[in-house]
Amino acid sequence: MADDVFDLYDREKLLLAEGQAILDGGDHAQVQAFAERLFDRFSKLVRENEDLTRHSDRQEQRLVKLNRNLKTQTLELEQQRSRLEGLSLQLAKYLPPQIHDALFAGKYDTQITTQRKKLTVFFSDIKDFTRTAESLQPESLTEYLNEYFSEMTQIALAHGATIDKYIGDAVMLFFGDPESKGFKEDARACVDMAIEMQERMVVLQNRWRERGFENPFVVRMGINTGYCNVGNFGSDQRLSYTIIGGEVNVAQRLEANADPGGILISHETYVQVDDMVDVEERQAVSLKGIDRTIRTYAIRARKAETDKPLRLKHPQGVHIDLSPQYLSSDDRHWIAEHLKTLASQLEALEESGKASD
Amino acid sequence: MQIEATDRTPAISLTHDPLKLSISGESFPEDVSAFYGEVISAINQLAANAKGKIEVEMAMVYINSSSIKAMYRIFEGLDAYRQAGNDVQVTWKAEADDDIMQELGEDFKDRFQALNFTVEQHG
Repeated sequence: MADDVFDLYDREKLLLAEGQAILDGGDHAQVQAFAERLFDRFSKLVRENEDLTRHSDRQEQRLVKLNRNLKTQTLELEQQRSRLEGLSLQLAKYLPPQIHDALFAGKYDTQITTQRKKLTVFFSDIKDFTRTAESLQPESLTEYLNEYFSEMTQIALAHGATIDKYIGDAVMLFFGDPESKGFKEDARACVDMAIEMQERMVVLQNRWRERGFENPFVVRMGINTGYCNVGNFGSDQRLSYTIIGGEVNVAQRLEANADPGGILISHETYVQVDDMVDVEERQAVSLKGIDRTIRTYAIRARKAETDKPLRLKHPQGVHIDLSPQYLSSDDRHWIAEHLKTLASQLEALEESGKASD
Repeated sequence: MQIEATDRTPAISLTHDPLKLSISGESFPEDVSAFYGEVISAINQLAANAKGKIEVEMAMVYINSSSIKAMYRIFEGLDAYRQAGNDVQVTWKAEADDDIMQELGEDFKDRFQALNFTVEQHG
């Protein structure tokens, strides 16, 4: 549709060209007629210019107003965001961080749904808490208890635990949902966490004694691995993300049977961590509703690096499992020499195989 | 003549039976001369090609300064058609809360007093 030669200012430009030609030609007779037409066009241009300027001013005013509104809205949004952020931070203290993060990322489903998963469940409880609490001023009790929970929570979160709930002086948490590294790694992370917690308790106990807390808190811990129902339990109005099942009760029972300052784990947990901790088998326990007897193990310490079993597994039937600390020097030497011989033979076979290829 | 509206240009319609010019929408073309050239030429040639009353309806939402210059050319062309002895009925429509378009319509009405010019609010 465009006419390439059309120009909105074509008449003005023609007039200017004409004026230039008249002035250059020096024909004064034409000046009068030209001046009249020039005056007419100039008058119209002045009017147009007035209108355009006024219109431009109105547009500017509207822009200024819009800009002010935008600034006000931005400020309101910023205040709203800040309020929500504050609310979110407050709320975060009441929710497992994984659930909180998923909720605020819009990835969490708040339907009443549960699933069965193999989890490692942890329970801890302060020994003789009621009696200890009675011997303390309420302010001191609050101070020590908050310190205890803060330190334990920090360690738990650092190991990736999902903190289920605090029940009075007890802590219930688990590994394996909503995030899992596989049930073996989950169990190992849980045991590692529990050991670090007890190590930290020793530091705290010394600190508390220095501050006059004569018989500081001593904590029992129980760990079990097994299938639990995990998810949202409750009603549409009030949900609780938690775990239920017999295996949860087992963990609680193990905690009750643990030594003060100790960690008692079930056989199901032990088989996942046998290479990382030294244990002492304890009396088996049985529970209502659980048919089997539960073998239990008290954790003595982390295995030293030199005590860790040396293992080699291959699906073709190779399975070496050595505990060097139980071998004599001669035995260790004999095994090392034979393994070297075996390695040489394998390499030779590999080389001859390559040659024939 | 029928030109569809785009994000930057208005819809333009010029029909001869009945004789009617409509322009509506937003107007901030990249090249105002190129966009309005055809319609300005058509209006300028109206006296030679048509006779009788023309109805003009303008319903602009936003219009930039260059487009206002083009509007002047259109109204001047319409005024020339009027001077050739024809009736020109202009209706300038502004949205109810749009003071800027309302006042622009009033400005045009003031400049082209010889045209039968009405400014209306709608919506």
